[in-house]
Amino acid sequence: MKYFFTRASLVLAALLCMQASSLAQFSVSGTVTDQDGVSLIGVSILVKGSSVGTVSDLDGSYELNIPGSNAILEFSYTGFKAVNKPVSAENNKIDVMMSEDITNLEEIVVSGLASTIKRSNLANAVATISNEEITGVTTQQTLDGALYGKLPGVNVVQNNGAPGGGIAIRLRGVSSLSGNNQPLIILDGVYITNAEIPSGSRFASGANVGIEEGSSNRLADINPDDIESIEVLKGASAAAIYGTRANAGVMIITTKKGKAGDTKVSLEQDLGFNTISNKVGRRTFANKEEVAAAFPTEPNAPIEWEAARQAGKIFDYEDEIYGETGLISETRLNVSGGNQKTQFYISGGYRNEDGIIKNTGFDRFSARLNITHEISKSFTISTSTNYVNSAASRSFTGNENEGGLSYGYTLAFTRDYVDLHPDEDGNYPDNPNYTGNPLFVRDHAKNEEDNNRFIQGARFEWKALQLDNQVLRFVVNGGFDILNNETFVYVPETHQAQRGLTNGFVGVGKNKISNYNYQVTGSHDFYTAAGLSFSTQAGISYLNIDRDFLLNRTTQLIPLQTNVSQGGAQVIEQTLENEEEFGFIVQESVNWDDKIIGTVGVRLDKSSLNGDPNKYYTFPRASLALNIANFDFWNAEQVEQFKLRIAYGETGNSATYSSLFTSLENLTIGGSSGFVNDRQQGNPNLAPEISSELEFGADFTFLNGKVGLEVTYYIRKVKDLLYDRSLPTSSGFTNEIRNDLDLENRGFELSLLLNPVRSTAFSWSSSFNFWFNNSEITRLGIPDGDEGEDIPSFVPPNVGFGFGLGTFYINEGSSITAFWGRDDAGNPAISGDASPDFQLGWYNQLKFGKRLTLNFLAHWKQGGEVLNLTRLLSDSGVTTPNEDLDIEGFIEDASYLRLREIGAYYTLPINGNFIESIRLGVSARNLFTLTSYSSYDPETSTKGGSGLSTGLEVSPFPSSKQAYFHISFNF
Amino acid sequence: MRTYKILMLGLLLSVVSCSIDEQVDPNAPSLNSVLKDASITELNLLATGIEGFMRNGFGTYVTSTGSIARELYIFDADPRNTEDLLGKDGMPLDNNTFYLTTPYNNFYRDIKTCNILLESIDNTDNPTQAEKDGYRGFANTIKAFKLFQVLTMLNDNGIRVDVADPNNLGPFLSKADAFRAIRELLDDAQGQLNGSTFAFQLSAGFAGFDTPATFSQFNRAIAARVALYAKDYLGALSALDGSFFDLMGDFKTGPKHVFSTNSGDILNPAFKTPNQSGDQLVVHNDLIADAQAGDDRLNKFALRTNQTTLDGLAGSHETRLYASATSSMDIIRNEELILIYAEGKIQTDMLGDAADALDIIRTGHSLPAYSGPMTKEALIDEMLYNRRYSFWGEGHRMFDMRRYDRLNDQFLPIDRAGDQIFTQFPIPLTEGQ
Repeated sequence: MKYFFTRASLVLAALLCMQASSLAQFSVSGTVTDQDGVSLIGVSILVKGSSVGTVSDLDGSYELNIPGSNAILEFSYTGFKAVNKPVSAENNKIDVMMSEDITNLEEIVVSGLASTIKRSNLANAVATISNEEITGVTTQQTLDGALYGKLPGVNVVQNNGAPGGGIAIRLRGVSSLSGNNQPLIILDGVYITNAEIPSGSRFASGANVGIEEGSSNRLADINPDDIESIEVLKGASAAAIYGTRANAGVMIITTKKGKAGDTKVSLEQDLGFNTISNKVGRRTFANKEEVAAAFPTEPNAPIEWEAARQAGKIFDYEDEIYGETGLISETRLNVSGGNQKTQFYISGGYRNEDGIIKNTGFDRFSARLNITHEISKSFTISTSTNYVNSAASRSFTGNENEGGLSYGYTLAFTRDYVDLHPDEDGNYPDNPNYTGNPLFVRDHAKNEEDNNRFIQGARFEWKALQLDNQVLRFVVNGGFDILNNETFVYVPETHQAQRGLTNGFVGVGKNKISNYNYQVTGSHDFYTAAGLSFSTQAGISYLNIDRDFLLNRTTQLIPLQTNVSQGGAQVIEQTLENEEEFGFIVQESVNWDDKIIGTVGVRLDKSSLNGDPNKYYTFPRASLALNIANFDFWNAEQVEQFKLRIAYGETGNSATYSSLFTSLENLTIGGSSGFVNDRQQGNPNLAPEISSELEFGADFTFLNGKVGLEVTYYIRKVKDLLYDRSLPTSSGFTNEIRNDLDLENRGFELSLLLNPVRSTAFSWSSSFNFWFNNSEITRLGIPDGDEGEDIPSFVPPNVGFGFGLGTFYINEGSSITAFWGRDDAGNPAISGDASPDFQLGWYNQLKFGKRLTLNFLAHWKQGGEVLNLTRLLSDSGVTTPNEDLDIEGFIEDASYLRLREIGAYYTLPINGNFIESIRLGVSARNLFTLTSYSSYDPETSTKGGSGLSTGLEVSPFPSSKQAYFHISFNF
Repeated sequence: MRTYKILMLGLLLSVVSCSIDEQVDPNAPSLNSVLKDASITELNLLATGIEGFMRNGFGTYVTSTGSIARELYIFDADPRNTEDLLGKDGMPLDNNTFYLTTPYNNFYRDIKTCNILLESIDNTDNPTQAEKDGYRGFANTIKAFKLFQVLTMLNDNGIRVDVADPNNLGPFLSKADAFRAIRELLDDAQGQLNGSTFAFQLSAGFAGFDTPATFSQFNRAIAARVALYAKDYLGALSALDGSFFDLMGDFKTGPKHVFSTNSGDILNPAFKTPNQSGDQLVVHNDLIADAQAGDDRLNKFALRTNQTTLDGLAGSHETRLYASATSSMDIIRNEELILIYAEGKIQTDMLGDAADALDIIRTGHSLPAYSGPMTKEALIDEMLYNRRYSFWGEGHRMFDMRRYDRLNDQFLPIDRAGDQIFTQFPIPLTEGQ
């Protein structure tokens, strides 16, 4: 390794020695403005084919000394179309007007650890979303929720509708069975955590595992308004330089930076409300005969119903529990500006949201300071600092077992003619048909979390060498993310399911996740006279993650006490995890005059999660982009861009923590401790699962930017998938970790960008994102193993509810997201598939004059089934609404068409000295949904965001729709 | 100079490539640590674990088999308790659902821990030979008992007995072979207990059965039950001789599973809060109807203040078998040994002895002495009546009915049209059979 690296440095050194000598030179100057004549500050001006360049100053003017006698100047600026101007000693006064880049061809995309590339030269389909698309239409609850339908190949699933998150992002299908299918998230160079931290409510509710608690995911802490852009590297071909953590893709989030110029202040206020987006309804009875028929074994039922009816005591409990209108308020204050040396961005935001269930809600306070400072011509430092406090009260929903807590469960067994309301003294009657009174749970039980989080990123850049034809830079960047999460669950001893048995529950969780990472990279750009340029980079990367989850819980509460020490049966559980990773990266790019762009690279990674923590695994990449339209022979004027691209790359994913160990579990009996073997048989020889992806596609831009088209096809293979396999449980183990399953995802992505009308009076831009993904299990166990040798098809642990109801089932040749039941002969048979046939997002932006804008986003998901066990429960409790009684089976089509976002804004004409502008707006989220799905929301997951978790519904927190009023002031 | 700087940097970068330490589990003791040179402390932790984990899965075993035998219903939110177990509308028992997998998996985990203790004993010099035999006798007794419980569920499907090596599991033995293997294991254990010493302590549940000599009586009591199920009645009677069987003794004598609210401990899984709805063990109405007048075993049932129904099923009474969530559960008690004795005598045609034993049970439960015909058939009915009420809700009924070919709709009620009566559980899916 040392040898390899030393050689890379020697190459760098050798390149440095090839210094070109400078001859004659001349000076060019001018100003840069936009279409309206406003000066553009910070426009990059570069002599084409060299590293000579400058940026425009506060007045938009520039001056540049250029070697030789003539050159071509490239003017580039984020969000604007690049302009090329020939200059010479004679022609040396160049004023440039730049126009907005509506096709994003000039957008700068991260291509390496310390390098960027123009989108028009990119060989991958990297999806990028800007601030305007994230928060421009309506206010976002969470950052991940803002991505729905906006990016092709990016599947976003809301696991449940509780305020404060609980969302899973999946890029190009399932990539792992054991671990997380969530992408790696890097915010301003910091690896940040997106953990779902369980609160321990399962110990009171009887839910089977932590992932059934419906926890939030911690991306909810990030204020969406702070985000400048998100780049999504969807597969291994784009993400290979992130190596062993990038199997599920990478999201690179960049926060806003200040710009040199006048200090800008903006104050924004949103007011809105949450209401349930869809009620399922309840069983109603028209007369006593219907009641008698519904409850044939209960002669009293019709009498009770009749008495309740006459007393006017037929209640709609669904409305009482889920029918609240939750107020939402969000305030944001941004201050940004700076001079040419130092720029800053300060933001503060506070969001307060009440849910559709009384006593639920989400609060987030976020403060950010981003500073960029140029120490000298060759040294730049930038830091990004973010403090967040977020709190949520999520109450109890989702799967449980006799806890009497989850509303969906209790409602399924609560009959509307039974009065569960408290008397004047506040005594709640028992639910005669289940173990809990939902009104009591709503009013007295608690499930809360509180997060304090500090994310700090820093980047130090040293331009070690700048000559006419080469630049050598070193970048040290990194940072840390410290999350302190506290959870609190309280179930009073008077709760029906607790009384006389466990007599109350308090669970207090103190969870800490701290990540830190750093990266040192050297990069060398070298330009030749022949129009060839080379970009070489090499570096190291280090990541350390520490988790400390401490849960104190007790039952047998001293009456009326809510302190964990005031209970008679205390249990403390601590889970410690430490992960360390280290890697080398080398990458070389060659660009021939923006016509042919080729890149090869490799990353070598080792991880403490692998059986051999010091063994390096290799993750190569290679890609090629051909800009056909840039070749001289191309003369189709109407086609500005025609690019063919192909890319290949590999990434990895290590086993989840503790997979290497076979442990003993603690128990006590009669006050003595003992050991029993753990359920999981560890495997000390695990290697990472490897994903390899071949992606190819073409990009077009026609008709002066009016039409842009990107099509991509990918084949993504995951080799040696890590998976928990159920062992024959007669071994005493329930599951083992294995490493011998192959999976293939193939998919197609299309983006169509239209700008049919562009004028000052009216402009309309519209984008279509279409995509689908199909998976197949291509190998299970020994390759081509004989019968008996090969691994038989199996049900992974915790992915379903048995063949009787529906489960995922790993079977060679089948889709990995298929639901399986039994056929008439009793053999496993496919009964549905959670993966959609395709998805389509349609985003529109309409501008009427300079003041009025209307934006909307529609999202169509076609196909994909959901196992609706909410209805199984309501069938069992005889509360299924009359109109749903004839639905056959519990696997339902979950197609939908949803108006995800719509917003209209008007800017008031104000010419004050103090206030620059006032903008008013109205917007809504999830305003309507067309679907034949019978339960709350076709988009649901009772088992959270991990593994094979989509498409299972068990009494979720119902989804809400939101409407907002906005006002913002710019000073 | 510049080249030098670059080389320095390159060197620096390669130096940072730190080495990552070998990983140890920070959260729990590792299996490997006890397999070699285990200390007495470690061996005792395993022994306590084995006793404690005997309880896991036993609640589901009792309620699932009780539902199938129509002695109780489980009324809770899981519809599979009233659908699958009663074979609603022709539905089969699933081979990957909790009513099977919870007892099966937990019983085999306990068996695995027994095997770990046995392997540890072979690889350590810390205990004396007598102490080693004490551990072995204990582990083999419990292992045999848990294997037997698995066999009662799977019955004709047979079970795996050789499960020490998880990567090389033994075959499924036929029912007859499994019985033979379990009985040999019990006999081996008895031999090991003889002359051994216990370096470990059992919980208060084993009070009176916590020395090698008295634990051996427990071993023989289990052997008697196994022999009875294997229909070796003479074997059962002879096993009783070495057990704590006492015709004159207290019915309740015997080792127990104890429960507490201590940290890490569990609660009695078959206790249900009185009059609780939604999570209740409801007594099958036939038990109330069929009881003989004055039978004090009816005290195990209590009339609910409100009748409860679920899924087309109803019952007027609920369980009062246990007074609280920390009440102990019997593993095997003298009352059962007396009834094993009675059954053994009936089957070996010593009807007088059998009737005397049955009278002890009857009078012990406030009933008059047996006055029915002194025929084998009539006495079998009487014996089964007593087993039905003496062991209600303790996981016997399904097997008693099966042993006498009565686990069918001629002898058991069909509560809903379309329900079925299952005679055994399928082999779990994960066994890949």
